[in-house]
Amino acid sequence: MENGIVSSSRTDDNKLNIEKWKAKNPGKLDTDSNDYEGSCQEGSEPGISLQYMRRNVKRDIMEKVVEAIFLLCALVGVVSVAAIIVFVFVKGTRPFVGADAYSLRDFLTGTVWAPGNGVYGIFYMITASILSTAGAILIGVPVGVLTAVFIAEVAPEGIVKIVKPAIEILAGIPSVLYGAFGLGVVVPMIMKVTPQVQGQSLLAVIIVLSIMILPTIVSLSESAIRAVPKAYREASLGIGASKVQTIFKVVLPAAKSGVLSATVLGIGRAIGETMAVMMIAGNPTAGMPESIWSMVRPLTTNIAMEMSYASGRQSEMLFATGVVLFLFIMMVNMTLIKLTQKAGEK
Amino acid sequence: MLSRKVKDNIIKVLIYLSAAATVGILAIIIGFIFIKGIPGISINFLTRGYEDKTTYVTTELLEASEDTGNDGEVYVSRLGITLAFDGENALAITEIDKDSPLKKAVDENGNTYEVKKGDAITRIGRYKASSELKDIDAEDEKAKAEFLQKAVDEVNGQEDPTVKLKVVRIGGGIVPMAVTTLYMIALSLLIAGPIGILAAVYLNEYAKPGKIMSVIHFAIQNLAGIPSIIYGLFGSLFFVQILKMQYSLLAGALTVSIILLPTIITTTEETLKAIPNTYRESSLGLGATQLQTISRVVLPNALPGILVAILLSIGRIVGESAALLLTAGTVAQIPQALFGNSASGATLTIKAYTLMKEENNLTSACAIGIVLIVIIVLINVASKLITNKFLAKKGLQK
Repeated sequence: MENGIVSSSRTDDNKLNIEKWKAKNPGKLDTDSNDYEGSCQEGSEPGISLQYMRRNVKRDIMEKVVEAIFLLCALVGVVSVAAIIVFVFVKGTRPFVGADAYSLRDFLTGTVWAPGNGVYGIFYMITASILSTAGAILIGVPVGVLTAVFIAEVAPEGIVKIVKPAIEILAGIPSVLYGAFGLGVVVPMIMKVTPQVQGQSLLAVIIVLSIMILPTIVSLSESAIRAVPKAYREASLGIGASKVQTIFKVVLPAAKSGVLSATVLGIGRAIGETMAVMMIAGNPTAGMPESIWSMVRPLTTNIAMEMSYASGRQSEMLFATGVVLFLFIMMVNMTLIKLTQKAGEK
Repeated sequence: MLSRKVKDNIIKVLIYLSAAATVGILAIIIGFIFIKGIPGISINFLTRGYEDKTTYVTTELLEASEDTGNDGEVYVSRLGITLAFDGENALAITEIDKDSPLKKAVDENGNTYEVKKGDAITRIGRYKASSELKDIDAEDEKAKAEFLQKAVDEVNGQEDPTVKLKVVRIGGGIVPMAVTTLYMIALSLLIAGPIGILAAVYLNEYAKPGKIMSVIHFAIQNLAGIPSIIYGLFGSLFFVQILKMQYSLLAGALTVSIILLPTIITTTEETLKAIPNTYRESSLGLGATQLQTISRVVLPNALPGILVAILLSIGRIVGESAALLLTAGTVAQIPQALFGNSASGATLTIKAYTLMKEENNLTSACAIGIVLIVIIVLINVASKLITNKFLAKKGLQK
């Protein structure tokens, strides 16, 4: 077979070279040559071409191995999601099965959390999470979208250069510092007007959360607004609409899906926020929130408050709280993925 | 048409107000943290350990020469140091000679323990200086001078050529947390960086649109949406308990690595997408293999984007709290191992939280906050510079 590689114009010299090479590299030629039969050009020096061939096989194997490594790395994300879901769900559902099971209904509808007495009710936490998220969206989305409009449509370039970095820094501030701000500024301010004795309240949570979701809302809305074709604006202005009318009747409706994605992402951030909320929520062990002045205990803070020392049933119940939180997040994620897919199809 | 004008103006005012509110809030937050935290920032805060550390050391004594004292300080010739009165810790070392024997003091385990400027001496031989502190009025200069003189006499009165001292290295600084944060950044990037970048390369260069790719993308999108407290729950169960790492650097870093994956993968993928296909085609056309194309053409061109991804990740690690609270612990110490008993350590952010929540110390928390904000701003500026340079080089910028 090896005759095939080095074509008919082989000279004696070449023959010699091959023999030499074979002597140096016993066994190499026979295996290598099969794969590369005929791949080398007429008249080329066999010594050189054979060396290339030898490398090629290695290279091919290398390519395959590396691709497999790349694939493995890409699968780490999938494995992580699967592991998180499995571990959290398995541990979080354990208290509700078996001989000594806690009633799932009591868990989901109870309004008292007293691990010392074996009472675990999280309905008031679910309410707190939903109320604080809804409040944050109600304040954060309009302010955020209007700011995005300002950046994308109204502001002169000089001001954009101030506002945009400000929003990027706002996005980078750790949530613990938002908590410090809440504790040092928002809570004392609420203290002055609240009918309750403490400033930690649903209102404080809503205010801080709406600030925390602002960067998300602004930057996503802004890119959605910027993606609206210029022709839309020109057409609208051309038929006599004012700038404001153009923005609200043409541009924003066209950017609807982007703004919606921003809102959903904001919901996700607000419902999952832990540390900032923990410092300003009050975290009572029982009781539905009655007004914006009452203390609340969202799902996330329940976990973070007790996880460090919880064990046994209490720890499982914290995981169960995590499962409920996870289900909310899943709904948010699915909505978001659907929305972005729709936008992509467009 | 007046109503339309009025309406337009009202809305315009609202737009301006919203933008002003957004910027104003940022100013208030940063202003608040700086005003509260500035009093807490000092050289000592930035360079000292967190807890006071007491060590008993034995040191040789020099020949006595003249002990001079002035301005509430006294030079102790036999130790080669200058002492001052310290209301809290008895005797503060304000100056230390180059040839002071204290630089080669020996601790109880027989190791050399270098006594440094700023340390305090609370006990000389059998004389407990700290227990006489309560009798001294901080305003009374004469009493303070006597107190210092007594310490000098005590040193000079030693008959042995060596003396045992109780030395306190004063804490109150953030060095352990800063070091833990650096460890956490290094370890997390070491884990998540290669995985994330290679995953992005696979998704953009190898994967054909199909089931595997959509599953991976779906997983990454989901990962990005999971709040860090859930990661914390998972980490505390899987890494801390099941893998028996305990609250540790490694458990924290592994948890954070998962959090970082979506950021690194998406940012790198975006960069890879922006590299023109002609680059790849030229390389392949010259006979390079796909791997050669990726390592010699694609990745070098994607370097700025990858750098930005890493910077963003550092920002994320520095700011991360909920997940680390449940996996790396809250102890203010430099971790001595990757996992196990002495491996736990609080990052700056975690310490800021515990200072506020458990010790009600808003000043120190905000002082740490200033450090954090400075880091975040630096990261923002750096990634901006890189992006701009990258765009300029590719001629994409106007």
